[in-house]
Amino acid sequence: MSDILSKLSTAIIEGDFASTPEMAETALEEGLGPDEILNKGLMPGMDHVGVEFKAGNMFVPEVLRSARSMQAAMDIIRPLLAETGIEPAGKIVIGTVKGDLHDIGKNLVGMMCEGAGFEIIDLGKDIEPDAFVEAVKEHSPKILGMSALLTTTMRAMEQTIRALEETGIRDSVKIMIGGAPVTQAFSDQIGADGYAANAASASDIAKKFTP
Amino acid sequence: MINSKFTAQVTPGIQLLSDDQKGGIHSATLEVLRRTGVDVLVPGVRDMLQKAGCWVDGGRVRIPPNLIEWAIRAAPSRVVLCNQDGNPAMELEGRKGYYGTGSDTPFVIDAYTGQRRKAVLEDVANVAKLVDALEHIDFLMCMGIASDVTESISDLYHFREMVHNTSKPIIYTAWDRANLEAIVEMAEAVAGGPEALQRSPFMALYSEPISPLSHAKESCEKLLFLAEKGLPVVYTPGMMIGATAPVTIAGALVQANAEALSGLLITQLAREGTPVIGAGGILFMDMAKGAISYAAPEFMLAMTAFSEMYHYYKLPIFSFSGCSDAKVFDQQASAEGAIWMMLTALGGGNLIHDVGYIESGLTASYQQIVAMNEVAALVKRFMGGIEINDENIALEAIDRVGPGGNFVGDEHTFQHFRRNWVPELFDRSSREEWEVNGELTLGDNAAKKVRQVFENHQAKPVDESVSEALEAVIQKAEERNK
Repeated sequence: MSDILSKLSTAIIEGDFASTPEMAETALEEGLGPDEILNKGLMPGMDHVGVEFKAGNMFVPEVLRSARSMQAAMDIIRPLLAETGIEPAGKIVIGTVKGDLHDIGKNLVGMMCEGAGFEIIDLGKDIEPDAFVEAVKEHSPKILGMSALLTTTMRAMEQTIRALEETGIRDSVKIMIGGAPVTQAFSDQIGADGYAANAASASDIAKKFTP
Repeated sequence: MINSKFTAQVTPGIQLLSDDQKGGIHSATLEVLRRTGVDVLVPGVRDMLQKAGCWVDGGRVRIPPNLIEWAIRAAPSRVVLCNQDGNPAMELEGRKGYYGTGSDTPFVIDAYTGQRRKAVLEDVANVAKLVDALEHIDFLMCMGIASDVTESISDLYHFREMVHNTSKPIIYTAWDRANLEAIVEMAEAVAGGPEALQRSPFMALYSEPISPLSHAKESCEKLLFLAEKGLPVVYTPGMMIGATAPVTIAGALVQANAEALSGLLITQLAREGTPVIGAGGILFMDMAKGAISYAAPEFMLAMTAFSEMYHYYKLPIFSFSGCSDAKVFDQQASAEGAIWMMLTALGGGNLIHDVGYIESGLTASYQQIVAMNEVAALVKRFMGGIEINDENIALEAIDRVGPGGNFVGDEHTFQHFRRNWVPELFDRSSREEWEVNGELTLGDNAAKKVRQVFENHQAKPVDESVSEALEAVIQKAEERNK
C-alpha cells in the first residue's frame, strides 16, 4: 500500500483532523485516484475505529474525532469523486420528528454516518411529516433516518411513513429509526426498514442498506 | 484578580461524631479501664503493666488514664507495609484506604461448580492469585482455612501459599506463638533477614482480644513476640453488639475502644513504637436469628464511629468492607458488599479487610471479590471528588457549544472525558447488545473473570533458595507436631 494511504488511515484512527485534508491533497498530487483514497485510505481507518469502538477500546469522543478527520478529507475528494462519476456511499436525510426537540442522538447518528462516508442532510428537529416528504423528493437519499426520544412523539414516525406512502415515494428510500424508547418491535410494527440501538450500529445498518 | 471560583479539592467523607462526642467516648473508655479494667491472662504481662503503674487484682488489670494516653502518643501514627520486594505498597495513615480479603473461612464457593465446599490449600493459592491480579485489591488475607493439611500447622501452609502466589502485602493469622515464630522465620527468609523485614515489612499479623475485655494467653503471647521483633500487628476486637458487647452502639464502641487501647498499651510497654493497626470489628447479633451479622447498619455505624475515634487519636485503622450475610454471591451479597465499600472509603479506614466474605464470615466467594474489585474502582473515582477550577468549570466550552448544540464532539469533551470511569464488569450496553452477548449478569461476568485469573495469572515467582527455606520451616514444624 502507498505510504500516504496508510498515513491517512492512521491519521483517521488518531483523529488528527488538522492533517487529513493536506494528506488527501498529497495523495491526489501523487496521482492516486479519489476512489482509491476513499477505499484504501479513509475507509480502512474508519473500519478500524468501528472495530475498536465495539471492543470498548475507543470512546465516543474519539470516534467523533475520527469521523471529523474522515469528513475533512472527504471535503477534498468529494468534488473529484462526483466528476469521475463515482458514486459515494450515498445520501442520508435525517431529522428528529414532529413535536420532539431532542437531537443529540440524531446528531451522533449523523456524525457516525458521515464518518462511514455518507453525505448527511440534517433537517434538524421538530420536523413535520410533510417536510420529510419534501426532503426525500428534493435530495433522493438512499436512507431516511428519524429520531424520537419521547414515547409521545414516537407516533410521528408512523405518520411520516404513512405520508411517504401517500405520496408514492415510500419505496424509494430505506427508513431507519432510533431513539431511547424505540425498539425493533416498534420498528416492525410501523413498517420501518431498520432500527439501531445506538449511533455506532446505526452506521453499520446504513452500510448494509447501501451495498 | 482574586479568583473566587477556585475551591481547594476536598476528600469526600462522612462524620458521625462531633469533637465533643469523641471526647465523651474517650473519657468513658478511660473510665472503663480505670473502674472495670481488663483481664490479662499472662502473669508476665500483668507484671509489666503493674510496673508501669496499673493496679493488678488477680487476673484483672485496671489502668490509669495517663498510661493509655501515653500509649496513644507512643504508637506510630503511620505503618508502611511493603510488597515482597521491599517496595512500599500501603501507607496506613490518615485517610488512605486499601482493600483486602478476609481470612480463615471454613468454606468456599467453588469457582467451577458454584457449590459450597470445605476450603483446601489450593483455595488459598487461588485467592492469592486473584488478589495479585486484581487492580483494586491491595492486600491479601488467606480467605479459606485449608482442610487438607496438618491441622495444627495449617497457618504455616497458608503463609507459604500466599507468598508463592502474590507479591502484595499479606495479613496473616497464626494459631499460637510457636507457629507465629515459624511464620516470622519464613517471612525473614523472604525479606532477606530480620532487619530487612523490620524495616520494610510485607506482612502484619491479625490477632484479637476476647470480648468482653479479655486479653487471652495466645493474644498476649503473640503481641509480646511481635513487639520483641518490632513487626506490625493488627489487634482488633471481634465483638458482637448485644452478645459480647452492650446492645447500644455507643456502649459497644466504648468497650471496643477499651479493648483495643489496652492492647495497644501492652504492645507499647513491651516495645515503644511497635507498629499497631487498631480499631476494628464491632459486629452485630441479630436477635431474631441469634446469628452474627457482617452487614447490619448497626455494625456499619459502630465501625464508622470507631474509625473516627482512631482518626482522633491519629492511629492506623483496621476496617471492614465488601462482606455480606448472603449464602451465595447474589443480589444481597452485591448490595451489602457495595454499601460497605463506599462507606469504608467515606469513613476513612486504612486497612480494609473481609472483601469477599459471605455467610457471615463462614464462606468465601471468589465472585464477590471480583465484583467488589469493580465496586472499588467506582468508589475510587467517587473519592477523587470534584476538581473545581477554570478549565473544569468550562465557561469557554459552554459558550462555544451554546443553546441547542452538543458537547460530544467538542474539544473540551475530548480533552477531559478520560478522567471518567469506565466499568469493566458492570453492564452499560443496550438491551440488544446485552442479548446478543448472552444476557450475562454480574455474577456470570464475575465468575468468568475468576476462572480467567485462575487459569492464566502467574504471580512473580519466589527465588528457589527462599522456596527451600519456606519448605524447611514447614518440615521442621511437621516433625515437631508428630
